[in-house]
Amino acid sequence: MLRRSRRTLQLVAATTLMVTAATACNAAAKTDASDSASGGSGKSFTLVTPDAVGQNEFLKLAVTGVKAAAKTHDGTEKVYESTDTASQQQNVQAAVDASPNVIVLVGFEFADLVAQQAKAHPKQQFLMIDACTTKTFTNVTCAVFREHEGVYLAGAEAGLLSKSGKVGAVDVLDTPQFRRYSDPFAAGAKKVAAKTSASTRFVGGQSPFDDSARAKEQANSLLSKGTDQIMAAAAAGNYGVFEAAKAKGAFAYGVDVNQCVSSPGTVVDNVIKKTDVAVEKGVEQVLAGKTGTSVSYGLKEGGISLTGLEAGVDSSKCVIAQHKDVLTKVKALRDQIVSGKLKVDDPAAS
Amino acid sequence: MFFDSDLLMSALRALTPILLAALGGALCERAGVFNIGLEGMMLMGCFTSVATSWFTGSAWLGVLAAALAAAAYSLILAVGAVTLRGDAVVLGIAMNLLAVGLTSFLLRTVFGVQGTFDDPSLAGLPLVGGFTPLAYLAFVAVAVAALMLSRHVWGLRLRGVGEAPDAAATLGVSPAKYKYAAVLISGVLCGLAGAQLALGNVTLFSENMTAGRGWIAVVAVMLGRAAPVGVLLAALLFGLAEAAGFRLQGVGLPQQATDAAPYVVTLVALFLSTARRRRRTANSPSGATT
Repeated sequence: MLRRSRRTLQLVAATTLMVTAATACNAAAKTDASDSASGGSGKSFTLVTPDAVGQNEFLKLAVTGVKAAAKTHDGTEKVYESTDTASQQQNVQAAVDASPNVIVLVGFEFADLVAQQAKAHPKQQFLMIDACTTKTFTNVTCAVFREHEGVYLAGAEAGLLSKSGKVGAVDVLDTPQFRRYSDPFAAGAKKVAAKTSASTRFVGGQSPFDDSARAKEQANSLLSKGTDQIMAAAAAGNYGVFEAAKAKGAFAYGVDVNQCVSSPGTVVDNVIKKTDVAVEKGVEQVLAGKTGTSVSYGLKEGGISLTGLEAGVDSSKCVIAQHKDVLTKVKALRDQIVSGKLKVDDPAAS
Repeated sequence: MFFDSDLLMSALRALTPILLAALGGALCERAGVFNIGLEGMMLMGCFTSVATSWFTGSAWLGVLAAALAAAAYSLILAVGAVTLRGDAVVLGIAMNLLAVGLTSFLLRTVFGVQGTFDDPSLAGLPLVGGFTPLAYLAFVAVAVAALMLSRHVWGLRLRGVGEAPDAAATLGVSPAKYKYAAVLISGVLCGLAGAQLALGNVTLFSENMTAGRGWIAVVAVMLGRAAPVGVLLAALLFGLAEAAGFRLQGVGLPQQATDAAPYVVTLVALFLSTARRRRRTANSPSGATT
């Protein structure tokens, strides 16, 4: 009996030690981080991401943007990567506690958290990318994108390249925000080839964002009707759409980043969101004191673009690189949109 | 051209993973183990098949590994529900949750990516007449299971174990052995279902890619009253409903309505089958259902 209780005691002691050690480690890591923040003489910026950056091109660009901003201002940057809802909350709290000059947050996941923190810490400046709080705060600045302008140009490419005169889109859900990826595609195709017919399929189902098998079937249902150009805006389902298009020798268009590399010869072009541009410009805006507003980034501001319109198109593995004539026409359309001569309807505008 | 060969092909592609999983569920049901862990076992099969196919370059080794991995995973249910007499429903739900987390974690550690692993050089299953060999195997499995359950001594004992375990035990049949076998076979079948989904329907792995197909399979087991042919018909109904749902969007029906198609079909089928069963029960002199 005595022996056993002694052993228990030892166990408890060991556990306590370990826990203390772990806490100490944690504390050490935190001090380290705040040291590096105050290390630079200039401004400090903290980026909070909704997911691990890893291979996520969209978030990688945000990191690039924050680094560039830190360099311009001879300051320092920190990146807090979240993995789930709980760590998002912790990271936002940690960022607020460190009180850098600007906290940059990417994604709609942060809308409610920022609204809470902005109210509690009126002196802290927040920059939200690709989303905004529902209520406006003087210390929350937002950068949102006009995806529909890029999708319109992709539609124009599809209209010019389509042999069957039928284009289509595989979209995630039938909501105004997601229709930005399908309706302008049809409009763009009809602009350059009036006789083009267009239709959209929505993935839907229990998990519309990651059901690639369902997205593939939706693409197949478009392909069986003769569609030969498909806008793929189905999140993880995009890979299913590419597979379907490849099997039938049709073409697809990707979103957010260069997806040509995942299916070379099938993906024509991508509507890309340049998060780095939005972060850099947003930081300038906040530091200049123009806070509390929402700025939208489209073709004009360089926030939205096509892979085909960017430098490095020849090494992008995109099909569009072989169609310089199409690119010339699309560039003309882009210039019209930039100058305001041509206006793209926004399905999400109420 | 609403009903054409493309629609049928689409329906059969949607049907295969559901059918394989549902068949496994039906065997468990017959042996008296309520298996709702089909979704999780299928997801384990998806990941294992893709990972094995990627590292060995052979889709068939991927299929084999998926069957083995899902069978091993099904041991959680076998040990928990049969040996330890735990609640099969709780175990099944835990298995489904664990599978989502585990495969997402493995995706990150093994492939270093998040969300989706996709590579043009990932080997998928070959297509024979538009379908993978696993699709044909699914139909063969239905026939084998139907014969086993109705004719073979093994199947009859399995049913006995499910319906009256004490009576079976007095006849010298070990209920635990048969229940273990049924759960392990359902693991193998769910592994094959996962391989079909990840190397047949598409050639990639994405987190939670089963997207509720395991639950549809559970419903198919109930709707088909755990009879292999009944399960086949139920799965066919779902496949057709889903494929038709896709087409209905083409004629202008909103997505929110077409999404509901498989569930509306389920409800209608449930109403019709229970109504018929009740009528039959009322007519039969003993009042017993079959």
